[in-house]
Amino acid sequence: MHMTSIGIRVLVIFCIFVGLSGCNQEQRSAESRYSLLQTTNPDPAIMESQDLKKSNIGAKVKEEVLSLEEVYDVAIVKGKQDILVAYKVKHLQRFRMKKIEGRITKLLEKNHPKENFTVSSDYKIFLEAVELKEYMDEPDYSEAKAEKKLQHIIKLKNELT
Amino acid sequence: MGKTKKTPEQKSYQKLEKKHELKRPVGMNCLKAFLVGGLICTIGQVLTYFYIYYFNFTEATAGNPTVATLIFFAMLLTGFGVYDHIGQFAGAGSAVPVTGFGNAVISASIEHRSEGFVLGVGGNMFKLAGTVVLFGVFAAFVVALIRTLLSMWGVI
Repeated sequence: MHMTSIGIRVLVIFCIFVGLSGCNQEQRSAESRYSLLQTTNPDPAIMESQDLKKSNIGAKVKEEVLSLEEVYDVAIVKGKQDILVAYKVKHLQRFRMKKIEGRITKLLEKNHPKENFTVSSDYKIFLEAVELKEYMDEPDYSEAKAEKKLQHIIKLKNELT
Repeated sequence: MGKTKKTPEQKSYQKLEKKHELKRPVGMNCLKAFLVGGLICTIGQVLTYFYIYYFNFTEATAGNPTVATLIFFAMLLTGFGVYDHIGQFAGAGSAVPVTGFGNAVISASIEHRSEGFVLGVGGNMFKLAGTVVLFGVFAAFVVALIRTLLSMWGVI
């Protein structure tokens, strides 16, 4: 009797939890769904209006960031003015996350002084960057929408609370 | 009060007491606390990823809803009487994580329910958890002060 009542209570809590998870409305594709757990290394996403000379910058930045041995996964999105660089750090190196971020920022600003970089090691930013890249691959996803989402990600990155 | 020398009677009583005292299974208790505490922390980590994945929270901000959810569920479990059993089994493993805070708040409220809602529940709710809040706020203040000073001096 006692065990069944505990079972019912646990079931109630489980239902609340499942109910809460139902609040989610987003649908994610396979790559972005697993990007939290495994290495994805997506190609840099460049907005179409950028001229061809500049479009090479994505690959360069990716190469530069990956040259750091602590980093194993990089997602890059190039917008009109901003370049979003999201990366994952090897687990045991996560203690030195701030230092690594500083090194990457310095390196990129030194090599590309004219560009405006937003650098983040946050999983959420990585997830959003991969998702944005996938949206941008779709033909009917407009550049204005992509830019809006990019700005949303940058805003999210700067949020503290 | 300084330590006074024990009389021979007291010493012999102490010996007798030691002979009959049940040995505490310290190693086993530590293992249980480690496992249950670790399990609670794993649930916390899963919740953090849940908030990062499905809501607009980053790694930096997902901690707040995670803590709130853990406390909420610990409070529910305390009300249902389940957390008592967990506490009895795991000891510090269930008291040290943030769920222990929720348990302390609700168990004090339940205990003083008979004294009325305002002076009973309201007045005694933070009887146990008050120390956590006070020293938590104070420690946060000290750490923030040190950090501010260090960043002002350009050390960090």
